[in-house]
Amino acid sequence: MDKVEIWSGLISFLYILYGTLQLYNGLLEWWFSWIGLGAVQLGIKLAGAYIPNSFPEPFSGIFLIVIGAVFLKAIYLRYRGLDEYRGFLLAGWALAMIMMAVNIIVIIADILDIYYPLLWGGEIGEGWKLASDAWGLAPHLVIGLLASPLYFTVKDLIKELMPGRE
Amino acid sequence: MSLKVLSEKYIRIALAGNPNVGKSVVFNNLTGARQHVGNWPGKTVDKKEGVYKKGNITAYIIDLPGTYSLTAFSEEEIVARDYIIYEKPDVIVNIIDALNIERNLYLTFQLLEMGANVVIALNKMDLAEKSGIKIDTRSLERELGVPVVPTVAPRKEGMEELVHKVVESSSKKTSAKLRYSPEIEKYIERLEGIIRSSADINKVFNPRWIAIKLLEGDNDVLDKIKGMNGGKEIVSEVSKIKEDMKSELGDPEVAIADARYSLISSILKKVVRGKGKIPASDLLDKALLDKYLGIPIFLTVLWAILQFAFIGSAPFCDFLGDLFAFIGNFLTGITGIPFVDYLLFGDYGIIQGLGAILSFVPLIMALYFALSLLEDSGYMARAAFIMDRAMRKVGLSGRTIIPMIMGIGCNVPAVYATRIIPDKNDRMVAILTNPLIMCGARLVFFSAIADAFFGAYAGDVVLSLYLLGIIMVFVVAIILRKTLFKGKASPFVIEFPVYQKPSLKVATVRMWDRGSLFFKKAGTVILIGLLVIGVLTVTDARTLSFTDNPENALISAIGKAFLPIFAPLGWDWRLIVAAIFGFIAKEIVLGASAMLYGVGEEEIASKMASMYSPIGMYGYMVFIQLYIPCIVTIGAIKQETGSWKWTIFAVAYGIILAYIMNFLVLVVGHALLR
Repeated sequence: MDKVEIWSGLISFLYILYGTLQLYNGLLEWWFSWIGLGAVQLGIKLAGAYIPNSFPEPFSGIFLIVIGAVFLKAIYLRYRGLDEYRGFLLAGWALAMIMMAVNIIVIIADILDIYYPLLWGGEIGEGWKLASDAWGLAPHLVIGLLASPLYFTVKDLIKELMPGRE
Repeated sequence: MSLKVLSEKYIRIALAGNPNVGKSVVFNNLTGARQHVGNWPGKTVDKKEGVYKKGNITAYIIDLPGTYSLTAFSEEEIVARDYIIYEKPDVIVNIIDALNIERNLYLTFQLLEMGANVVIALNKMDLAEKSGIKIDTRSLERELGVPVVPTVAPRKEGMEELVHKVVESSSKKTSAKLRYSPEIEKYIERLEGIIRSSADINKVFNPRWIAIKLLEGDNDVLDKIKGMNGGKEIVSEVSKIKEDMKSELGDPEVAIADARYSLISSILKKVVRGKGKIPASDLLDKALLDKYLGIPIFLTVLWAILQFAFIGSAPFCDFLGDLFAFIGNFLTGITGIPFVDYLLFGDYGIIQGLGAILSFVPLIMALYFALSLLEDSGYMARAAFIMDRAMRKVGLSGRTIIPMIMGIGCNVPAVYATRIIPDKNDRMVAILTNPLIMCGARLVFFSAIADAFFGAYAGDVVLSLYLLGIIMVFVVAIILRKTLFKGKASPFVIEFPVYQKPSLKVATVRMWDRGSLFFKKAGTVILIGLLVIGVLTVTDARTLSFTDNPENALISAIGKAFLPIFAPLGWDWRLIVAAIFGFIAKEIVLGASAMLYGVGEEEIASKMASMYSPIGMYGYMVFIQLYIPCIVTIGAIKQETGSWKWTIFAVAYGIILAYIMNFLVLVVGHALLR
């Protein structure tokens, strides 16, 4: 196995793992709280926050698993020596970057939502804290950052795909 | 190569080819500024015509609509083939994409079957060479029996040679004849022989082409010859021959298509060298259109868009809400007329109502921004393709997914977007079912109410309403397809646009246009609606004087008049009035509610939570989700269907469906709670 396969394999594993966690935590909180089980976190705890923070949201969990599945297929095709793996790698990378972008936008929106009353001298309650924002250190951001170096593997394909607008 | 100088020559040329092969570039190269764009008579298809003039050669050139074949499934195909049949151009220049020669030759074969005088422009040769594809154009000429000219249209390479070949061909009758396998040919020739006996038909049509089309079951051709001399006799022979062919070779249409592809394949084996590396777009398509991962990937992208739109726009929505509240408070008392002040600037006045609505503009704009990026990237067409198989099971074309996605923002442009659906029945079903998709306007009301009634499950509730809308689209589509719009679903052929970096500028412009439209709507229809509601709310029903108690106002009289109809649903007059005025614009439901309950926009949800049960309110939301489209959407439906009958149908079935579903929610909900 080469560097790309190992790194993609790690990314795939993380997406599937944290997707499953979010799905589990989400199902528990949204529909099965009566079972009485607690949420599960598998992150590194730092200053009161988990990295990554598997907040309870079943649909988010499902879609993280989908991204993991795309990377998994890329590894499988590459292992079989098929050129098609490049398309799956690009698709997985693109989805990872989209999720990371959404995460960043949500953080910015949360910050704006808390601080905009200052525009007219209004008061704010508790300020924004990365640790207390569910999306603060979510898997979308953390694993997205880990997936971003795969850009160097797919950049030729991107260049061929989008040479620039006419 | 210089043109032969002949005596003054006038030629009529038609350009034919698949979409996106460079036909327009060739057209522009030949005609320059001497061109005109109009419409084909009675059709919504563009007609491009121009003139080529050089030396003693004058050519009238018509750019036929891009088509993949010459069957009769779409307006473009009918326009293209009727022009070739009836206008009989001197030469047809068939532009072929050298990168997709196999797909493009299918149309070429159909042109040759028609007996057309064809010259092939083998375009994008530079890209084919780059991909490692080598095409022996001389061999291709021999195999097809027509001239083949390699071209690179954007660089005008090959244009002179093309004109030369066109001029040469115009003075010769075509001798090109494709022969399929003997098993197929025997049936074609058998029918052709019968067709040749009708002089009238032979004058207009190529007998071989008619034979092939009749064997394929082309109803348009059947109708054309039925009324002609000898037509009836031919039609009666066709079914006999088709039966014989079916028993030997299976479905004739499939057998003929297979025969074409088989011949194309054998020709390409002789003329094409080097497969070339798989293009980047094909590689990405393999992932995005994967049999198992295609739909999950699409849903992932859709989810990301919705997250961006809803969460990303939240602070801007909150800001606008606060701004209008501030404006209302600041202007209170400014007129000095209690009645006007109350109506306009009161805690539940028009300004507050308008603010409740306009505070959702950032949400609508964010949604449009994201959808525009998606469309611009080239992915939207692929999404339509992936969804086609699933959509087809419920009688909808895969193209319907695009208006459905747009309906999430607003049903009005979504209804107009159904123009991309070529089949008339598919299009009608898409138009009539699109208003069932939850638009941003309804979301305005649902978001506010769900939070008060359902707390932590508010997201679930709103999602369930989205899903309900989608399920109802499918259910209604199945019913419409089995009853009012029966017929075979049209084949789904779509040209994938190239992938490209989405333009932030284009997305921003579209977002701004949509936002401005919303503001315009707010400034006119919605404001007038709120004004009318406001006046009715502060006018006493008996004395016609000012009242600050909506219970005594004209508006309550209107609501109470409809109580007998809506009592089974557990509604009071306020819910009835809000629903009635929601016909003007769905956003009004929230603004009207604030006025009717005599509270400000921030208190409306909690006020309603104290008056109604969660089941009752969920049933009401189901009604609002499914009932009549807003007045602007109704206008769009009327414009696109061209029919008052279907517009009234859209309104009527919506109300009935909404009523039934609301009632079912109550029955099931109460049964579950017992």
